[in-house]
Amino acid sequence: MAATVSPDRILRELAELWVATGQEHAEAGSGVLRACAMTLIVLAEESEDMASLGETIAALMPEFPARTILIRLGGTGAPALAERVYSQCWMPFGQRRQICCERIEITAADASLADLPSVLAPLVAADLPVLLWWRSARLLGTPEYGKLAALADKTIVDSCGLPDAKAALALLAGMAQGEVVLGDLSWTLLTRWREMLSGVFESRECQVRLPEISGVAVSFAGERPPVFAWYMGAWVANALADAGVRAEAAWLPRPELSGRALRVELTGGDFRVSLERQDDRLTIHAGQISHCTSLSQPTDYILMREELGIVRRDPVFERTLASAARLAAASPA
Amino acid sequence: MPSENPFQDPLRFERRMPACAIVIFGASGDLTKRKLMPALYRLAYDRRLAAGFAVIGVSRTPLGDDGFRAKMREAVRGFSEDTKFDEGVWNAFAQGLFYVAGDAGDAALYGRLGQKLAEIEQTRQTAGNALFYLSLQPSQYAAAALGLGGAGLGKGTGWRRLVVEKPFGHDLASARELSGQIHQVFDESEVYRIDHYLGKETVQNILAFRFGNGIFEPLWNRRYVNHVQITAAESIGVEGRGAYYQEAGALADMIQNHLLQVMATIAMEPTASFRAASVRDERSKLLRSIRPMTPDEIRVNAVAGQYGPARVGGESLAGFRQEPGVDPSSRTDTYASATFFVENWRWAGVPFYMRTGKRLPKRVTEISIEFNQAPLLLFHGGAESAPNLLILRIQPEEGISLKFLSKRPGAGVELRPVSMDFNYGSSFGERSPSAYETLLLDAIAGDATLYTRQDMVEASWAVVEPIRNVWRDSAADFPNYAAGSWGPAAAGEMLARRGHVWRTP
Repeated sequence: MAATVSPDRILRELAELWVATGQEHAEAGSGVLRACAMTLIVLAEESEDMASLGETIAALMPEFPARTILIRLGGTGAPALAERVYSQCWMPFGQRRQICCERIEITAADASLADLPSVLAPLVAADLPVLLWWRSARLLGTPEYGKLAALADKTIVDSCGLPDAKAALALLAGMAQGEVVLGDLSWTLLTRWREMLSGVFESRECQVRLPEISGVAVSFAGERPPVFAWYMGAWVANALADAGVRAEAAWLPRPELSGRALRVELTGGDFRVSLERQDDRLTIHAGQISHCTSLSQPTDYILMREELGIVRRDPVFERTLASAARLAAASPA
Repeated sequence: MPSENPFQDPLRFERRMPACAIVIFGASGDLTKRKLMPALYRLAYDRRLAAGFAVIGVSRTPLGDDGFRAKMREAVRGFSEDTKFDEGVWNAFAQGLFYVAGDAGDAALYGRLGQKLAEIEQTRQTAGNALFYLSLQPSQYAAAALGLGGAGLGKGTGWRRLVVEKPFGHDLASARELSGQIHQVFDESEVYRIDHYLGKETVQNILAFRFGNGIFEPLWNRRYVNHVQITAAESIGVEGRGAYYQEAGALADMIQNHLLQVMATIAMEPTASFRAASVRDERSKLLRSIRPMTPDEIRVNAVAGQYGPARVGGESLAGFRQEPGVDPSSRTDTYASATFFVENWRWAGVPFYMRTGKRLPKRVTEISIEFNQAPLLLFHGGAESAPNLLILRIQPEEGISLKFLSKRPGAGVELRPVSMDFNYGSSFGERSPSAYETLLLDAIAGDATLYTRQDMVEASWAVVEPIRNVWRDSAADFPNYAAGSWGPAAAGEMLARRGHVWRTP
């Protein structure tokens, strides 16, 4: 395996790949369509389940066709830099023509991380957004992260991978203060929850009772609130504050919950709104009305679909992140 | 009290939907079972409906709330093609289903309906919002609208809207009469005339394609466009709807509404904004710019057809006159094609060819825009005469293709046509909502952009009615095309007179 990687060679291999793919399909009497709407750089540890990650990326391609550059972080044992180029094709139902996206895989040792930006810069597809999916918790916030993030229009992380929620929030809040547009999958997994809670207050009857709310309780599994629980509490508190309502937010461990389960309750007088997931359903109680809707367990694919669709600053997230970091820092636990 | 919902996050949340009650007249009918209820269930499944959402089914069939829920459960299970049936979601959704039995022509029905609406307003917190959906025989539209008005249900504490399915009248006079009766109760801004074609993603995408891109609009005129072909072909016959179909015919069933609306979307002027009123104003202007034809012009610019029996793929297909419920001497058009001209500066002299029919070789709906050839032919060879084509496919594979010439690799200069394709389904793998999901959400949200306005209905009838009259008064030599063919030979001759040929989709 080569110890260095030449962007020119990769680009040449990509061009040859398309010629070969085109010829192959032409001989078969079908056709091939090249699709690219962005560059997606995925940075993952070699120890990850690469087959599963590959499936997630493949599933994203029909909706977000991209030149994908997968960087496999090999730690100290891997060759300095190595690469391979291939395409991923799919046949839309009922059609003869395949749609193909290109995939570049680069293996990098820790020692060669500093070389990555110069390799990646010529490889991003021109005139299209660049998204960086940073899956390595180990290297988040390092100088190497900063250099790679500078290539991207948006960086997507998952703070669930960080061991300490408080430290994670402090780190992310610091990163978001810079120019980088940040997305956090721990925030993304709350979107459907937040949407349902918001839906409750579309009703005039519930909206008039907003001022009665005096308490917000976010229950979670485990001993200490995970990042997404901090987010949820901070977001609700901010929204209530915008409506001129002061409510006490509390984060409560609940032994009966497990995994990423969450329960949210807004209370005041005899008015109560609660959201809770049971299996693949989200149940909402608001005053006398209850409502149930499907809410499947969020996978990386579902979360990334949402994040890839937003290539700009998210003011609600940035404000929530800042508030959550502040609340977590002030919390004694 | 806060004036707005402080929890809104427009960047990430779907469009907000107010709580409301949907009153479906004709709740035992096919449309409710096959389209409306599966669409509503899907919207509930996708978290698109407000928690206080309610449906009141109205029909003559004697049923209670529970009986209606049981029937609708079967409908959702049977006709939700790509939605998982989830017992928990269904149970929550079913809590919002209610039923009132009665005849749309019976004034007493509306008193009972009013009571039910008042109860639901309290228990489901619908804020008095109500959407009345007329899934009835067209002859009952006026009775239902006037019944609602008589019971004072046309107005309430919240908004009131009326959704009407096509046909909107059977000619210009009846369209005006129906509109006048509806307007006794509902303001035009509260009337939503549904044309499910306009709810299709690609039809909406035409607007995005035309007005979201800077490169096409400069070409979108008589200087560059040679002609436009709009095809809506169906491979099936009348499928048991013979009795209904022979009263309507292809011209009234497809061209008067769907295809003229599609043509208006293709040819309308750019709008100042994407507000419903602006978009509909421009569509309406375009429809009113279509030149009505004299009887002599109609005889050369419009062709009616009716399919006869044929064997296709080893299968014997009945002719229209042999279909169950069809008069054996029926003169109904199962195929209609016409050449329209738009009288404005943009399109003067550009033919818009339109064709639709049953029992054609395949199911396809597309718009093909043929551009003028290069002014000077530099290269020699057959392919050079292939024109540039922009094809907007509506079904079955929604997408856009641009055909242009390219040099064949190798020595010499030989051109060959190539196609640059955008496939809506494969480029955006997300499931496209059904037309009814889109249109129901729009009506609940009060967005009438994709609905037809009365002046558009009248403009369409003004174009179609003279053709219908000429066809009615002429002797038709039916059947004049075989099932499984692309229609009568006269339709090809209509284009050949201007040096054009129908594209084979």
